[in-house]
Amino acid sequence: MVEQTRVHYQEELEKLETSALGGLDLVSSALSRTLEAIEHQDVELAQLVIADDDRIDGRYLEVHQALITLLATQSPVATDLRLISALLHVLKNVERMGDQCVNICKMIPLTGNEPPADEEMVKLILTMGRQARTLISQAQRAFAERNVEMARDLVRQDDVVDNLNRQCFGLALEIGDDPDRREWAMTMLLAARAIERIGDNAVDIGEQVAFVVTGLFREFEDASHPNE
Amino acid sequence: MAQDESRAETGRAGREAAAERAAIAVRPGEFRRGPSGKREKVFELKGAGVSYGGVTAVRDISMDIHRNDVTAMIGPSGCGKSTLLRCLNRMNDLIPGAEVQGELLYHGEDLYGQTVDPVQVRKLIGMVFQKPNPFPKSIYDNVAFGPRVLGHKENLDQTVEEALRGAALWDEVKDRLDDNAFGLSGGQQQRLCIARCIAVNPDTILMDEPCSALDPISTGKIEDLMIELKKEFSIVIVTHNMQQAARVSDRTAFLMVELDAEEDNRWGRLVEYDETEKIFTNPTDQRTEDYVSGKVG
Repeated sequence: MVEQTRVHYQEELEKLETSALGGLDLVSSALSRTLEAIEHQDVELAQLVIADDDRIDGRYLEVHQALITLLATQSPVATDLRLISALLHVLKNVERMGDQCVNICKMIPLTGNEPPADEEMVKLILTMGRQARTLISQAQRAFAERNVEMARDLVRQDDVVDNLNRQCFGLALEIGDDPDRREWAMTMLLAARAIERIGDNAVDIGEQVAFVVTGLFREFEDASHPNE
Repeated sequence: MAQDESRAETGRAGREAAAERAAIAVRPGEFRRGPSGKREKVFELKGAGVSYGGVTAVRDISMDIHRNDVTAMIGPSGCGKSTLLRCLNRMNDLIPGAEVQGELLYHGEDLYGQTVDPVQVRKLIGMVFQKPNPFPKSIYDNVAFGPRVLGHKENLDQTVEEALRGAALWDEVKDRLDDNAFGLSGGQQQRLCIARCIAVNPDTILMDEPCSALDPISTGKIEDLMIELKKEFSIVIVTHNMQQAARVSDRTAFLMVELDAEEDNRWGRLVEYDETEKIFTNPTDQRTEDYVSGKVG
């Protein structure tokens, strides 16, 4: 019978993984509020999302430092080393996704109390946001379960987000000549772009899942060579 | 669920809760809170030094060692880390010509005071050496040796079992307590020595390179054991294995050799003493950085 040694180190590593992936719950919650703030033009809720981003940044700082300490003190190798490297990436993705929610929320007051909103465009953005939230939970689950297939499926899910983003662009082009309405549409395009980036970050997490499991890092889709 | 949460937190109560969380959010520089904040000091060294026959081995060591910490001493060969460790339970008394300078306080009392009994000191401050050194006796008698010398004859079986359990050895030896200790593996012998040490209920355990004669698996067991033992005891470990210090200790002292102008005399000096995490991720002194990153030896 092989006895397990370095139990405390293993426990610490597991704890940090849980904590890093828990950052995705914080992001998911921030995104839900962001969508609600867009839907109801709720400036106060948007301010709350902005203030709450400190929690996501705090999680980043706390887990990042603990991972660096683990690297410095425990000499991790093999899967443990890949896991720590991947978690450092995931943390960055979490922090970026949180910032994208903040970016959107900062735009909400700019559109005014009763913006000249296009209902169809708002609907598209909300659908995009919900799809991005699905990607976040799928990325989290794929990482926790080390499920490469589920991670690869994120690309397909992200295509839905990208399509919706293109549709938003199309709607903005046809929004009409009213300057207020055009300004509103431009702002909403920036929000759509931020949600699209959240989807990309979720796919990046999926790539880290594949790296942890296989030891090889490959982009699921190469944006600079899309047809290869 | 996330949506429910977001709804629940809208409105004034939600905003207040968010403001409170923002106020307690971790800020840069605050997140690293060491395992040992303001804690009880076991040892206080104030300008401590040791010389052998008038030749200085270590000098000017000032540091506090805290209760329930694993404190590691690292540094190149000849920097005086073992010498310093041996001062902490007066082992240097046994070396002719050895002299201790400065102040060494143990729980606030002068360790080298005139009325202090060195035997009592060594009971309270046990030691584990580099090479496992069990007595040529049975496993049971090795552990029972200390309590018997101290006249503790009641509940001896219980004391032996508790000490062996404390040293994570009980399950491996419970069916052969009467076997000779020399029949154990090196790692088991070292854990037996730790059991022998804790059988007399010490307050602190000093370890002088306790794993350097052991294979990696036995080393792992001793390291796990140290993390368990520190819940009850304070541990000071000297190791030439920097990674071991990094893995097991809460605080690390880095000592190095200093030469006089003519380079005739050399002695050990404390360069940096801080939380282990700090020493291995962001040391204050460049010499520490060079040593822990393997640039100088």
